[in-house]
Amino acid sequence: MSAKVDITFTVNGAVKQVSVPANMSALDMLRDQLDLKGAKEACGEGECGACTIIIDDTSVCSCLMYAADCDGRTIETIEGVQTEDGLDPIQQAFVEHGAVQCGYCTPGMVMQAKHMLNKNPNPTEGEIQRGLEGNVCRCTGYRKIIDAVAEVARS
Amino acid sequence: MSTIENYLAPSSIDDAAAALAAGSATIVAGGTDLMLQAGSGQKEYAPTLINIQKITEMRGVSLDGDTIRIGALTTITDLLTDEIIAEHLPVMATMADKFASDQIRNAGTVGGNICNASPAGDGIVPLLMYKAEAVLASKPNGSTETRKVPLDEFFTGPGKSVIQENELLIGVDIAVPPAGFVGGFGKFGPRPALEIAMAAVGLGGVVKDGVISDVRVAFGAVAPTPIRSAETEAALEGKKLDETTISAAGEIASSSISPITDIRASDWYRRHLIRVMTEEILNDVS
Amino acid sequence: MDQIVEKPDTLIGKPIPKPDAPDKVVGKTTYINDMVLPRMLIAKIKRTDRVHAKILSVDISAAEKVPGIVAIATAENSPKGLIGVLKDNPPLKGDKVRCIRDEIAGVAGETEEAVDEALKLIKVEYEDLPGVFDPEEALKDDAPLIHDDKPGNLSLTFDFEHGDISKAEKDSDIVLEEKYELHYVTHTCMGPGCVIADFDTHGKLTIYTQTQYPYNYKMDLAPALDISAGDIRVIQPPVGGAFGSKLDVYPFEPIAVYLAKKARRPVKLFFSREEEFIASPTRQPARVYIKQGAKKDGTITFRDVNVYLNNGGYTSWGATIPAVMMRTMTGHFRIPNVEFHSKAVYTNNPFAGSFRGYGNVQATYVTATLMDKMAEELGMDPIEFRLKNAQKPGERTPQNSLLKTAALADCIKIGAEKTNFLEKHAANVAAREKPGRIRQGIGIATSIHNAGGAKIHKSDGCGTILTMDDYGRATVITGASEIGQGIDAVITQLVSEELGIPTSDVIIANNDSAIGPWDVGVHASRTTFIAGNAARNAAVKAKQQILAAAARQSNVSIDKLDLRGGHVVQKDNGVSVTKLDRLLRQMHFAGDDAELVMVSEYYEPPSELEDKNHVGDISAAYSHGAYITELEIDTLTGGVKLHKMTCVQDVGKVINKLGIEGQMEGGIAQGIGYGLSEELIIEEGIVKNPNFRDYKVVTAPEMPEIECHFIEDDEETGPFGAKGISELPCIIPGASIANAVYNAIGVRFDNPPITPEKIVRALHGDKIEAAE
Ligand SMILES: Cc1cc2nc3c(=O)[nH]c(=O)nc-3n(C[C@H](O)[C@H](O)[C@H](O)COP(=O)(O)OP(=O)(O)OC[C@H]3O[C@@H](n4cnc5c(N)ncnc54)[C@H](O)[C@@H]3O)c2cc1C
Ligand code: FES
Ligand code: FES
Repeated sequence: MSAKVDITFTVNGAVKQVSVPANMSALDMLRDQLDLKGAKEACGEGECGACTIIIDDTSVCSCLMYAADCDGRTIETIEGVQTEDGLDPIQQAFVEHGAVQCGYCTPGMVMQAKHMLNKNPNPTEGEIQRGLEGNVCRCTGYRKIIDAVAEVARS
Repeated sequence: MSTIENYLAPSSIDDAAAALAAGSATIVAGGTDLMLQAGSGQKEYAPTLINIQKITEMRGVSLDGDTIRIGALTTITDLLTDEIIAEHLPVMATMADKFASDQIRNAGTVGGNICNASPAGDGIVPLLMYKAEAVLASKPNGSTETRKVPLDEFFTGPGKSVIQENELLIGVDIAVPPAGFVGGFGKFGPRPALEIAMAAVGLGGVVKDGVISDVRVAFGAVAPTPIRSAETEAALEGKKLDETTISAAGEIASSSISPITDIRASDWYRRHLIRVMTEEILNDVS
Repeated sequence: MDQIVEKPDTLIGKPIPKPDAPDKVVGKTTYINDMVLPRMLIAKIKRTDRVHAKILSVDISAAEKVPGIVAIATAENSPKGLIGVLKDNPPLKGDKVRCIRDEIAGVAGETEEAVDEALKLIKVEYEDLPGVFDPEEALKDDAPLIHDDKPGNLSLTFDFEHGDISKAEKDSDIVLEEKYELHYVTHTCMGPGCVIADFDTHGKLTIYTQTQYPYNYKMDLAPALDISAGDIRVIQPPVGGAFGSKLDVYPFEPIAVYLAKKARRPVKLFFSREEEFIASPTRQPARVYIKQGAKKDGTITFRDVNVYLNNGGYTSWGATIPAVMMRTMTGHFRIPNVEFHSKAVYTNNPFAGSFRGYGNVQATYVTATLMDKMAEELGMDPIEFRLKNAQKPGERTPQNSLLKTAALADCIKIGAEKTNFLEKHAANVAAREKPGRIRQGIGIATSIHNAGGAKIHKSDGCGTILTMDDYGRATVITGASEIGQGIDAVITQLVSEELGIPTSDVIIANNDSAIGPWDVGVHASRTTFIAGNAARNAAVKAKQQILAAAARQSNVSIDKLDLRGGHVVQKDNGVSVTKLDRLLRQMHFAGDDAELVMVSEYYEPPSELEDKNHVGDISAAYSHGAYITELEIDTLTGGVKLHKMTCVQDVGKVINKLGIEGQMEGGIAQGIGYGLSEELIIEEGIVKNPNFRDYKVVTAPEMPEIECHFIEDDEETGPFGAKGISELPCIIPGASIANAVYNAIGVRFDNPPITPEKIVRALHGDKIEAAE
């Protein structure tokens, strides 16, 4: 087995200390060690975005990131998006616009949408489509997802 | 999968070079190539994994006199927003816009793209066009040294380059292009970006009174490494950019290469695309 | 003072969010892939690396010694029962491998690392056999035999004859003859394959699965396990998509069970994405030879269709798609004389299953592009020719489908009007003669699909139990599965509409075969129609029981009462007679007269099984669609950019606006992939592109604008008039795109997907020959 690396980082506002094998992905660490199973592994190859998390204010595919590389960083996962007051506006818009079918892509979509809107609060429809190009959804045909993001951008 | 016995995350070039001097190490930057290749067994880990992400001095674009340095850890996303890039090396931003997806652009680095040495590495194509030089650091005798290798002498085969086991790519240096320099990048796929290039073209030169000089032409995904096309450059150098020159250049571009046929594209289609994109960029800059 | 309850707006047709959506957007939903049971083992499959070979030996001795390995199942030490539509597939292969998917062993261990290590150490010796990969080759006398007991490599055949095609051919003014090669595509459900098996100490099996047909699944699984179907309990946790891929039992499921039995511990077996591409079913590829004739005036005279299906190594539902292909080939346009013959032929390729659209994607690609071509040959416009031959309401197809509310002509007319079709079509043809790099195209395609179930089993029914608690909440236990498609939302809406309670007061239970009543499964666009009818009928019964009690109590006659806003009210003035929850408690705690509202309904649609000649009105309703694609093509690169898809469909009645639009858009994305970009490349039996890098599903930037026009023609037998709609959106786009491509560049493609390279080769083919 690969060497273990002790790392400390912040997840959804809480400081975590874990010991991870050097070859482990951030996704496996989140799912298996921290029991944060919102992010999904749908390809493990960076091609689908189901594992998207936000780390130090940028979105990445956690399946292609080394867990050890989380050391000292700040991570936000889908589990941290909802607040005590309820759903985040993006989550609310996904529900109301019918942007969710099987929902397997949804955590990654929401995280990527959130990152996109952080960087560009007023995207055009084309920019929304490009912003989501790394997230595959096999159920919805994307239109309702695009509508949901556009709605959040408008309000 | 091979096992990693030792994990290091140095925070300076000096420390990284020292760790590399000890031998048998694998470098990881964004990990978007390495994680995949190691996971599929295509690549074996050396006993030590060196994560270079904490070396902050290796990230970003800087201008020193007439030389631009793109740090190896500069992400593809950085290229889209950096002001020096926008002003002096806009074709790097054009390329970045056709590269992978946002998540991969956020993690993937320029250095990783170069060192991965893929025949279809998109970032390499405009860098060849801009006459970039790779800056390599090592610490053979207790002190850190650097050497520069022109990028067109850097690649030796798919996944292979002249980089030594004890060397770290710290960045690429590019001379500020002369006044009047214009260029373009073309990559074709049905999707806007999330595609491995079937063929890519980087082409630039100084255009004055309709005549192009100081021409540089580079192709991706049509040979075992990204390449410069001396024939196409010669066909253009000092010529007036009219229809005849442009179509002759397209013809030479496509006939000067011998790409492979695979599931992504046939050799014929790759040559066809090279011609189309070469002519397209020339039409744009003329 | 009397409390007045205003009559609320109807919920039917409103955009009602899915009840499962909030948990999904916060990442709380536990999918089967996320589940962990106490003491659960991890399992994977050792597959072959050959396409056709005798197995000489399987050696697991080294693998067994890996620390952490608990059980290894091989053909030798496992039950011998068979699975699949023709029961020709042993879950573990002992004597022979017939395709690249074949399973040699299952390995269960404490950790994934241990299992991976053990898989590497299993040694298999083979003697390679010659392979055959083409269905017509495999029919030849000297072709290698795939199954000893299947002479001629023949799997399933379908034959239908109506009228006299040879006479009709003689009477035709024009006859077109074409060959189509329809490719492999695959579902790529975002949740990769996964199953968890667990035995209790009585030897009863609980299986957590992604299946979309939980009740017959037991029947299909049992033979492979040496246990009775009655001893299987099927639990369906949330899944990441299905689209037809989970309508059969596949080898990995019994293998997980063998391992759980050996280990006496729960076992979770799951696929990597690569494995998902290689080892899960595909859409059935087809080679279609078709001949069609017409009179000068545009009347179609006959069709003669011969289909060869590459069955692959084993038989799953793919081989049965002619049952559906035929319906489109023989009807919706008037085809007075028609023959259809198909042969599914064993080869050493992977095998196909069912996939949304089920044969009709293929049939529609063929017929809709041929209709276009024939119109042109006849000098008619594509609209006129279609309208001339469109079947009208009340007509029957040669297979006896009764087209009660066939709105085909309306679909075509509305589509043509909304898009200004004829003008654009003519302008694009004219533009082809002028120089220019970018070409515009517009194309239309139509199809028909069953929309009121499809009777392919002895029953096409769905059971429902509805009970009400003491607080006015309704629990609906339905046999219908939720696989992301949104049936829970539809049932919620129908029941809350009927019972006058808020949607949040309806609870759906449908994930446990030990609780739910029988249903045939989620397929054939049947669930809204059939489970919807069952739920609505149950709600009507419950309502009657409640109103009867209220009538007794209030001395108002039952026909003057209604349920509204949580009250029993007087129908005419809305005056509340009693609150619903209070009444329910009074009914419940009425001593000797105690009654609980607890009703059941088994809804069987008014449809019939086909006879042996494939004649029979298999569905209670049929739906039609006309889809118009507008696109542009870069003639230099071959790049296709879709601008817009205008979809007109007769849906009976819109129940949930969000749901129906979501089904349309999602189906269209899959249909676009079929037409333009998706292809599972299989060469000599080997899958060449088992990843999303090279298997190109449609992504957000490629999606065109979609405009839907729903014709609400109130299907009398549907719940509130609704029909099933979810397959046509996947069926029609590919053909519609192909016709638009032709309009743009004057080239027809009989071999989707229409990739940029194919377009460029067609346009600049002369240069290729010069170069090669
Ligand atoms: C979904 C997806 C899409 C992609 N699309 C594209 C695309 O469109 N175009 C394209 O060109 N590529 C693409 N890639 C490939 C990849 O993202 C890029 O090559 C990226 O730039 C690699 O950078 P990295 O930092 O992630 O490299 P890493 O994976 O960290 O490293 C790559 C290799 O370089 C070595 N290395 C890294 N940095 C250094 C250094 N400073 N000194 C010495 N050695 C070093 C590593 O040891 C490793 O062998 C894609 C990848 C994925 C997963
Ligand atoms: S699972 Fe990470 S991108 Fe698909
Ligand atoms: S909702 Fe199923 S994959 Fe997106």
